[in-house]
Amino acid sequence: MALYAQPPTSYSVPTTAPIEHRFNPYSDNGGTILAIAGKDFSVIAGDTRQSEGYSIQTRYARKVWQLTDKVVLATNGFAADGNNFVKRVKQRLEWYEHAHHKPMGLKSIARMIQTILYGKRFFPYYVYNILGGIEEDGSGAVYSFDPVGSYEREACRAAGAAQSLIQPFLDNQVYFKNQQPAPGSAPFVPGNLPLSTILSLVVDSFTSATERHIEVGDGMEIYVVMNRGRNTDDLLGPGILAESMHVEELGALGEGGGEKTFLVTSPLKRD
Amino acid sequence: MECSFGITGKDYVLIAADTSAGRSIVRMKSDENKIKTLGPHLAMAYGGEPGDTNNFAEYIERNLRLYHIRNHFPLLPPSASAWIRRTLAESIRSRKPYAVNLLLGGYDTTTDLPHLYWIDYLGTKAIVPYAAHGMGVYVSLSTMDKWWYEGMDKREGIEVLKKCVDEVEKRLTVALKFNCILIDKNGIHKIDLSEQDPIAKVEASPEETAVEAPNPPIEVGA
Amino acid sequence: MNSVLSQLQPPAPHLGLDQEEDEFTSSDPSAWGSMGGFGNLARNGGVQGMSIPRVNDPTAFLDLHTDNMSSNPEAKIKIAHGTTTLAFRFQGGIIVAVDSRATAGSYIASGTVKKVIEINKFLLGTMAGGAADCQYWETYLGMQCRLYELRNKERISVAAASKILSNIVYQYKGMGLSMGTMVCGWDKTGPCIFYVDDDGQRLKGDLFSVGSGSTFAYGVLDQGYRWDLTDEEAQELGRRSIVAAGHRDAYSGNTSNVFHVRENGWEFIGNYDVNELWYEYEVKKKAAREAAAPAASPMAVEA
Repeated sequence: MALYAQPPTSYSVPTTAPIEHRFNPYSDNGGTILAIAGKDFSVIAGDTRQSEGYSIQTRYARKVWQLTDKVVLATNGFAADGNNFVKRVKQRLEWYEHAHHKPMGLKSIARMIQTILYGKRFFPYYVYNILGGIEEDGSGAVYSFDPVGSYEREACRAAGAAQSLIQPFLDNQVYFKNQQPAPGSAPFVPGNLPLSTILSLVVDSFTSATERHIEVGDGMEIYVVMNRGRNTDDLLGPGILAESMHVEELGALGEGGGEKTFLVTSPLKRD
Repeated sequence: MECSFGITGKDYVLIAADTSAGRSIVRMKSDENKIKTLGPHLAMAYGGEPGDTNNFAEYIERNLRLYHIRNHFPLLPPSASAWIRRTLAESIRSRKPYAVNLLLGGYDTTTDLPHLYWIDYLGTKAIVPYAAHGMGVYVSLSTMDKWWYEGMDKREGIEVLKKCVDEVEKRLTVALKFNCILIDKNGIHKIDLSEQDPIAKVEASPEETAVEAPNPPIEVGA
Repeated sequence: MNSVLSQLQPPAPHLGLDQEEDEFTSSDPSAWGSMGGFGNLARNGGVQGMSIPRVNDPTAFLDLHTDNMSSNPEAKIKIAHGTTTLAFRFQGGIIVAVDSRATAGSYIASGTVKKVIEINKFLLGTMAGGAADCQYWETYLGMQCRLYELRNKERISVAAASKILSNIVYQYKGMGLSMGTMVCGWDKTGPCIFYVDDDGQRLKGDLFSVGSGSTFAYGVLDQGYRWDLTDEEAQELGRRSIVAAGHRDAYSGNTSNVFHVRENGWEFIGNYDVNELWYEYEVKKKAAREAAAPAASPMAVEA
């Protein structure tokens, strides 16, 4: 009996608690994107700050991507997933062009994005996407997606860190929600705002979000996609853009159907 | 809250199952048939995980029909019970087991004996004279213990079943309606428990109360 | 063995549980050819393997990172949820009515969601639960129904269509799909509704309501339902039931879309603002009360 009074030391209980290894492949890199559709143009914008928690990883990381001469995609959420996702989309668009000798149309890209996102239904891309551009009929369009691929065509949409700050503003200014026309004046018709107005809305959205959200700032990139033959004076004309803003026309990616894409850049506060 | 009963008698088996189907707190349907006819003299009441129940029942139904077509003879109740039990026993050891409990009742036309089997999702099989699954276990097994006796005729069996259903209505907080069938040497008959003497109707017009079996007798070289 | 038969059978979506496929090197050459750009749908119309995380329990993984099962509301990935949908059969066909709100946590992600999915001219599907699950699989169902028409030279029955859907979701049972849908349509047997949900349950019935607001919708629907409702009465009952749910359920609201299914296919009846309708109903209720008891009670109060 005495032999077993003391247990051998090798049987002693572990001194540390077991370590739990959880597979966590996700992060949130902040930032905000938005898009607004006009009658014959579409505006897609995003800020350029990339952060994780309280630390800023970079002041310039791209979130808005030109896919074709008519289509621009904005991604937000987990940057690594976003970059990976855009890479996949671009590869599929290239395959499509090789097979069909024409670029994929906006609504088809939207459906393709749904199937790519849903293909990872059980291991989702943590990415919120907003797709903007020119539809086959020449109208401006915006499509917004959830991370697993449900989507809807809309007139405007904000996503990301400052979504809850910007979307109510857009609802009010673009959809005229909770507004009433002055007595005797014509009723509001949503979806027909001029480009200059939409540009001011976009700039105001981002400067305001920068003021009130720590994850938004540094700079912004605004892509303007115009239908073929559309006059560009309301973008390039004098006094439209502030002095701090810079605009360049992006050359055609494909054979050039006449649509034009402009990139407007502007600094945002960096604190 | 599911509930099913099975009772054997001298030359018959009675099977009853509730008719409600729902999701969480909502009853989405109150006339769902949860008794499946598996052959000319074989039927089962099934319950358990929604989705699994129908999928499993249809799997059993089709395989027993296939057996009947191949052999020109239906699988007899003892053999059918063994095969169904084994299917569940294999399922419980698989990656995605079926969570289905059932009462299998049948009439063996070769020996003229009624059979009742209590089978659960683990692959447990018990040969029993009377049985219940679901909430009926708690309120009506004692009722059957007291009133059931060996060699009851059809009317006496119905009376016991009515007592069980009555007890469920009295003691469970949810109201349930029941579907009921009777299996005897003539086949399977629908029983309306709300009638005073449902057996009278079965005896008067057996064709009218007959439940169509999925395996009609196969004519060979007509 | 049965190659002709296997070509005719609708392909079953398979679970790529054990596949170790790199998402960039798709094994199906059709992704390169003329089919390039068709997402993860293979050439035969089946679904190519879904990407699944290489962890012991993929479902727990999904649960940890998404608010999919509502057990983890703080998760990073918010999937659109919350709904009221209803459909009922009556003398004049089927009424389908839904709300249009999508919520992610307590944020109203959208107030303009189309929760009725037009599978084809004769079939409608409703959307409750995960928006992507419903949208994706009901679109896929539309493809399978069209293939059935081409193969069999006749329209698919509502029973068969709903069974295709329930078989798909049953294959994914327990993996975290979230959908409660009603497949509604008119076939050889007349108007027909099947309820199909994510645990693989498939029920045929005359009247269903699905979603977080369904209990409130049932409260109005059950009390006002009769088989011999006129078309106008039936449409109004559907509309009124959605308004009731939009009023009581915070996850439902914004607008209501109403559809009517008849022998020659479905028809879109209209889009109605739930909030505005609620006040219209209040005014009507008050007027009806006053008409029933003319001037008697106000005077009693004054006296």
